[in-house]
Amino acid sequence: MPLTNEEIDEIRKILGREPTVEELAMFEAQWSEHCSYKSSRILLKLLPTDGKHVLVGPGKDAPAVKIFRDYAIVFKIESHNHPSAVDPYDGAATGVGGIVRDILSLGAKPIALLDMLYMGDPRDPHANWLIRGIVKGISDYGNRIGIPTVAGDTWFDSSFNTQPLVNVACVGVANIDDLVLGAPKPGDLIIIAGNATGRDGILGSSFASKPLSEDRDKDIGAVQVGDPLTEKLLIDALQFLVSKKLVRYIKDLGGGGLTTAISETAADHGLGAVVHLEKLHTREKLSPLELLVSESQERMLIVVDPSNSRTVEEILKRFDLQYSIIGYFTDDGIIRVYFNGNKVAEVPAKELARPRPIRRASTPPQDALKGLKPIFVLPPEPKYEEAILKLLASPNIASKRWIYQQYDHEVGIRTVVKPGYGDAAVLRLLDGSRRGVAVKGDANPRYTSLDPFNGAANSVGECFRNLVAVGSKPIAIVDELNAGNPEKPEQFWYFEMMLKGVAWMAEELRLPVVGGKVSFYNEDHMGRQVKPTTTIVGVGRVDDISKAMTVEFKEHGSAIAIIGVTYPELGGSEYLYRLFGIEEGEIPRPRPVSEIRNARLIQKAIRLGLVNAVHDIGVGGLIASLAEMAIMGRLGFSIDVANIYARGVQRIDELLFSETQARYVVEVRGDRVDEFTKLARSMNVRFSIIGRVVDSNRIVITSNSKTVVEIDLDRVADVYNNSLEVELEGEA
Amino acid sequence: MPRVAILKFPGTNCDEDVHHVLRNVIGIESSIVWYKDFVLKDWDAIIIPGGFSYGDWLRAGAIAARTNAVEELGNARSSGVPVLGICNGFQILVEAGLLPGALLLNESSKFVCRWVRTRVENPKGPWLSLVSDGQTLDMPIAHAEGRYYIDNESYSVLVKTSPIIRYLPGFNLNGSLYDIAGIATEDGMILGLMPHPERASEDFLAPRGFKTGGRIIFESIAHSLKRGW
Repeated sequence: MPLTNEEIDEIRKILGREPTVEELAMFEAQWSEHCSYKSSRILLKLLPTDGKHVLVGPGKDAPAVKIFRDYAIVFKIESHNHPSAVDPYDGAATGVGGIVRDILSLGAKPIALLDMLYMGDPRDPHANWLIRGIVKGISDYGNRIGIPTVAGDTWFDSSFNTQPLVNVACVGVANIDDLVLGAPKPGDLIIIAGNATGRDGILGSSFASKPLSEDRDKDIGAVQVGDPLTEKLLIDALQFLVSKKLVRYIKDLGGGGLTTAISETAADHGLGAVVHLEKLHTREKLSPLELLVSESQERMLIVVDPSNSRTVEEILKRFDLQYSIIGYFTDDGIIRVYFNGNKVAEVPAKELARPRPIRRASTPPQDALKGLKPIFVLPPEPKYEEAILKLLASPNIASKRWIYQQYDHEVGIRTVVKPGYGDAAVLRLLDGSRRGVAVKGDANPRYTSLDPFNGAANSVGECFRNLVAVGSKPIAIVDELNAGNPEKPEQFWYFEMMLKGVAWMAEELRLPVVGGKVSFYNEDHMGRQVKPTTTIVGVGRVDDISKAMTVEFKEHGSAIAIIGVTYPELGGSEYLYRLFGIEEGEIPRPRPVSEIRNARLIQKAIRLGLVNAVHDIGVGGLIASLAEMAIMGRLGFSIDVANIYARGVQRIDELLFSETQARYVVEVRGDRVDEFTKLARSMNVRFSIIGRVVDSNRIVITSNSKTVVEIDLDRVADVYNNSLEVELEGEA
Repeated sequence: MPRVAILKFPGTNCDEDVHHVLRNVIGIESSIVWYKDFVLKDWDAIIIPGGFSYGDWLRAGAIAARTNAVEELGNARSSGVPVLGICNGFQILVEAGLLPGALLLNESSKFVCRWVRTRVENPKGPWLSLVSDGQTLDMPIAHAEGRYYIDNESYSVLVKTSPIIRYLPGFNLNGSLYDIAGIATEDGMILGLMPHPERASEDFLAPRGFKTGGRIIFESIAHSLKRGW
């Protein structure tokens, strides 16, 4: 977004003179929505960010939470929506690179990547091209840097056909004492290490702060191109430098390039800086303006005490990394930029780094009424066999193995619960103990588009449940709010409501929101906003990885129980959409009190070894969870829906497909059913035992002993396992 | 105490994993050695771990195969030092001509990460000394360029003389000729394989239905270095 006239006036006031072209470019980069959060900053204060586990909250390159007495988790989320719409391969790949560098900036070791991808209809040719490019970009980049991609979330919806949402998250671990939390001091040297600066991603953050132009070729120069080999060398070298305590401060050169990295570092610590641009190593001859705002990837700012500079230089050389020492920090709060001895910019760091926030107007649009409409008349009950198979074939439910098998999810040998096996990924710390961390990312674009407040709250709830289901204790979350154009009040309203939904639910579940990102201007070329989407990534503490829980049935004759009450909540469900094309109605209510109570039971049952498998109930309802448990375990089951603890339910499809929150399916060990029942009662949790796991290769559902449906497990497995591939690649 | 070198190039990313298994699971001494510092005579065995040396530029393994470090490995044969190449390490050994054949882009043209089941034929040499003929080993693969190719004539020699690791039916996911997952020199001194034994050496990491088939390869080298093979 180019600067507005008012902003240029403000810059004149700050400088007391006409700005130079270089200064204008610096302000444009830094005051872009992407870098400055100017439209969102006032509202972001609503998020609960404190908690006893929080070591570093929002504001730094990445937050840190204390997961064990001696270990910290550093994790963060980022979006690369706009670049991925123009150049899906490089756009998605560089998103991975950027988020990893944020984790490195605190001195942590990156151990896991997550990708939350909200993409178009696989059968739409353009969307199909985008999907393949995005997945391949992540695969080629993530695999090369040796960080496993262990979890994520995927959704397909035609509103994302031309503007996908590519949200990536990285999780790192560090000994608490080894976190790089120092501050740069006046006189410290500014080293830029990594890739040579080139003419790519010029003003990329500014490009991400406006709608895409109709002629996409015009935007291509704003997309960065990734170099995973240099990224890997940066990871190795920085880890070495940090272990030797040779660096004072680290920052990624991301959106806004050199300008943002230097101005934010200076402003955050009350410093100024002197920068000599001609010293920067470059790929080609660049003007001072280009040097200031290029967003070439794989570059990091390393702040070093001058007495350590020779050692640091030797280490960088040894790792085959290019670098240049371009200047130093000062104590006067002014950033002075020179090019071949000529001063090209002189600006106060604080004013550059923090533009005045903007209060945006917000009005609910007519469309929002869709989410307020209760569904009075349901379509006639379907044939259940057909309905179940259709639902499992939905790309939003079917196995995502076409995607995750393209990612190396095992490198690092930490991945204990792997993609497809659990509601969240579980990684061990690999410190000789049995301690570990659970990670997961979640969103439901349909929910947030129908009801942004409750939809966003449900994203928090879903993530919470997924972390609980694998046997972890949820510790903290980060959020990514993908919204439309903040200048349009009817689109800004969605952002505001989503943010409030996250704030409310996080507070209720006592999950601090330690960091996050806002992505605006997610509109298609017609100016329609794509489905506004709240992505939540959470981390949980695992005390003993040998007890980490997976979803697959394990034992013939064990009991199947549902934890939580089922309500007739089909509004916004995958069932209504996939079978009847209905995309409206009140979405399931967030139920924080039940979430907490039911989660405690799950955690306790896992700890006591009463259960073999746990799966949360989410998109697709009870039947989707049961089918996954059976398919992964290669064991059939038989249930009677009349046994389901429900309220207000009148039809079988409501029991099978309702997406009521705060529920889980558990496989209770055949010899521990009494104990489990007693425990659940004593904890005042609503539950019902609805059937048994049967080594029969069949799925049998009855209602008051009358058969509702009976299907061959192999058929169900075939549909579940292969539908996404068929959608993407056509019939074999 | 014998010492194993884990040779690291720019872009190698399984070095720490192999190091962990050797040190904490098997209990033999090993070091990660940066390719610039590598001197053959310092070591009793050498492992080239997986990753993307030099970003897979040109072809997987092609550039690392032309470094001084790998040229020195050519001398390992005559000096009797066992060499193991895992994944990208296998690609490097093939590129360097230390093992026959070639590793091409997977038939699907996609990267694939999945657990597979393999079988060892004609095991011999230090890396397979504890493995029995026909033993099945479960390990995960994770690669985009793992489709083994070899001409008929060379294969007919190889199959008579050398240890071969093959994917069992249903597990040849990359389209390798003759289902080949790994091969060794006639004496078994140099072994290369696409699956990752270091990811299959601890019970925690094997998904349901699979066993830790990789550990026996590291146990073999530990055993061989102490007692011979």
